[in-house]
Amino acid sequence: MSRLNGRQPHELRPIQISFDGLARVDGSARFSFGPIAALSSVSGPIEVRLASENASQATLEVLVRPLSNVPATESKALAATVRGLLTPSLILVNNPRTLVQIVAQALVPSGSGTGLDPKISNASAVTAAVVNASTLALLNSGSVPMRGVVCAVAVGRRKDGPLVVDPDAGDGALDAEGCFAFMFTRDGDDVQARCVWTNWKQGSGDEGVLSAARELASQAAGDVYAAIHANVEGMVNVKPAIVVLPTPKEATVMEVKKEKEEEMEIKMEF
Amino acid sequence: MRPPSPSIPEKEFLFSSLKESLRLDGRLPMEIRAPILTFGDDLGWVECSLGKTRVLAQVEGKMVKPLPERPFEGMITIHSEISPMASSEYEPGRPSDEEVTITRMLDKVLKRSDAVDKESLCILAGQRVWHIRLTLHFLSDAGNMLDCACLAGMVALKHFRRPDVEVVGDEVTVHQPTERAPIPLAIHHTPFCFTFAFFSDPAIPPVIDPTQLEQRLSAGVLSIALNAQRELCVLQKLGGVPLDTEEVLKIVNIAVQKAKELNNIVDARLKEDWAGRKVEVR
Repeated sequence: MSRLNGRQPHELRPIQISFDGLARVDGSARFSFGPIAALSSVSGPIEVRLASENASQATLEVLVRPLSNVPATESKALAATVRGLLTPSLILVNNPRTLVQIVAQALVPSGSGTGLDPKISNASAVTAAVVNASTLALLNSGSVPMRGVVCAVAVGRRKDGPLVVDPDAGDGALDAEGCFAFMFTRDGDDVQARCVWTNWKQGSGDEGVLSAARELASQAAGDVYAAIHANVEGMVNVKPAIVVLPTPKEATVMEVKKEKEEEMEIKMEF
Repeated sequence: MRPPSPSIPEKEFLFSSLKESLRLDGRLPMEIRAPILTFGDDLGWVECSLGKTRVLAQVEGKMVKPLPERPFEGMITIHSEISPMASSEYEPGRPSDEEVTITRMLDKVLKRSDAVDKESLCILAGQRVWHIRLTLHFLSDAGNMLDCACLAGMVALKHFRRPDVEVVGDEVTVHQPTERAPIPLAIHHTPFCFTFAFFSDPAIPPVIDPTQLEQRLSAGVLSIALNAQRELCVLQKLGGVPLDTEEVLKIVNIAVQKAKELNNIVDARLKEDWAGRKVEVR
């Protein structure tokens, strides 16, 4: 079976992660599977409107904006989905009566009609990119305590049988597809993944297909988690806060720098 | 939620430094932030940033039936909604004052100024025309989103290529981009927008391309849209500090100069991007 660019069934398109540093929001990040990119920003905990205030926990608000046209039903559905799958991973009880606002922007036209074949839709890939970008933005903001990291991948079943991860136009029309989201928790070096959400749709076949797809997705999501982990280390610019005076005392300067490094290391474990 | 007003020390510091013609980000009073244009894979996708202010523009085209009162013209619609991504003070569904100003200004600068020729968008009179949709997303608000949006929108329209259409009698054939090279929109002229902020103290000179703090502390704002051929499209002054004619003419002359520079930057950038793409095989 041949895929575009010689990809294996379990291989994702090249992942690109960048932290935009948008002004006036607490955290922002961009995530892409090859050309399918999404940008997400997180503001929170911030002041909440009285109507949506919750006395026992922070209110999570997710907004999804498509690339072209005004947000419509699809965006609202995707926003509700993202909100549902991010809620278990966030510890919202720490900040009652506040708002955590996540805004996700799709950077490619979503839905069908993209490219040459109107039957091929990249909705699952866009969903996965939006979820991953939102996770990265939450990590970038560092202001909302998290239980785990949610990573998502799209899986599809080609007409000629095999299940493939991150399907693109080269895989042709799919007869079953969906997006899987996993929450990764880490205990020292031990990483555990739990499936928290899926929108798998299949025309024919039994539960075995769903289990196989989930297994395949779990491995690929592990790759996404590894990419996120590697990139977050580079997210923090360690600029020593001390000013080196004209006649520095070498010893005190080195001590303060080392303390800062240790501080950074502790924050990195998640 | 509206952010609190700038504090008194911020206000006093800004005013006293502006009196000495020193801006907080080190620019001269009549210096704009260098625009950085990033083009995407698709034609018509541009991300424009002026310092930390960022706007994303995307253009797409669809064939539709024209309006009955204008059967020979295509249609251009501009969507520009500010999301809370720009700042949490912008609520979805409720247009703030600034959003209304930006929408109206974009309409005047990009549509009413006839920058894009609508008659060239006609395919079959009375039956099929191109509907060009420009969507602007405000990613980051660090002051002067209007200029950034106008620039992003204009560059996106110049960058966009629509599929080639062949009309034989009553039959319309749309050629895929792989068969025939897509063709650019017919652009009459390229308007650019420049915003100047004025302060209530007459000792403080006006500044171009205000930052967030300068915009909030300004007493009035003047926006000029013009092209590199010294033709004024829009001059908008929504209340604020009274200005006499000499000041306004001085501002217009400065804007003319900036428009020429910006035009060169945009052309150079478009050419650079075009050289890196394979759109035509000759």
